Amino acid sequence: MDVRFKRDGIALIVTIEGDIDHHTSKILKERIDSKFIIEPVKDMILDLSRVTFMDSAGIGLIMGRRQRVSSVGGKLSIINPKPEIIKMLKMSNVDKLVRTDV
Amino acid sequence: MQPVNKMKTEFISKSVNEGFARVVAASFVAQADPSIDILADIRTAVSEAVTNAIIHGYEEKDGIITMECILYSDHVSITIEDFGKGIDDIEKAKAPLYTSRPELERSGMGFTVMETFMDSLEVESVPGKGTKIHMTKQLEYR
Ligand SMILES: Nc1ncnc2c1ncn2[C@@H]1O[C@H](COP(=O)(O)OP(=O)(O)O)[C@@H](O)[C@H]1O
Ligand SMILES: [Mg+2]
Repeated sequence: MDVRFKRDGIALIVTIEGDIDHHTSKILKERIDSKFIIEPVKDMILDLSRVTFMDSAGIGLIMGRRQRVSSVGGKLSIINPKPEIIKMLKMSNVDKLVRTDV
Repeated sequence: MQPVNKMKTEFISKSVNEGFARVVAASFVAQADPSIDILADIRTAVSEAVTNAIIHGYEEKDGIITMECILYSDHVSITIEDFGKGIDDIEKAKAPLYTSRPELERSGMGFTVMETFMDSLEVESVPGKGTKIHMTKQLEYR
């Protein structure tokens, strides 16, 4: 599991690599949140192209980041989810709450 | 129906074992040569059940989790058991979005995932004794 960051204007692009489950999400959340605070950004883009597995812990991670980002008036979006992840996003209605390129 | 194959594993409730349990269950079922989608669904459901045992059953303290997989000619049966806290109200626990631990950013979607991704789900639980999750999945052949 790893997470990489890139800045694009006022958006922080977060690329998560590996599995997102309860075990990995704790550290992922910490690393994403601390980066979001120190960078001069408002929006967040979660790039899921390199995610190899995601269970409902990923839904918690996404909704938690959405709350943080919207508390500073920003927007969260999701890009490049794989089919299994799209299934999870649709089932939990996250695709209706977060901008998703599916 | 006669089982084709069977396995049982036991591990302690460390969160790193969520990944271990998924890999073990998927490798066991892989011998039936199911589609990638079916394997993905099984991995996800196992992850949800094991995570629940760790977070809710044992409240992140050490305990024993068992996982039994029985392979039949057309389906697999998976039972995941903990000997922890148990569930008072199973119907309420299974409701979409219900979580007793919102402070952990839980989504409350674990049971809904298990129900949606598997073909059957049964929950047996005794408060103070533990919880047993029994799930089955039909296996289509490529
Ligand atoms: N093995 C378990 N032992 C005790 N309580 C459980 C167990 N599994 C689930 N629960 C209860 O059921 C609720 C719903 O579970 P779930 O749908 O997976 O959502 P979440 O894990 O996000 O809380 C949990 O919040 C917990 O109260
Ligand atoms: Mg859960």
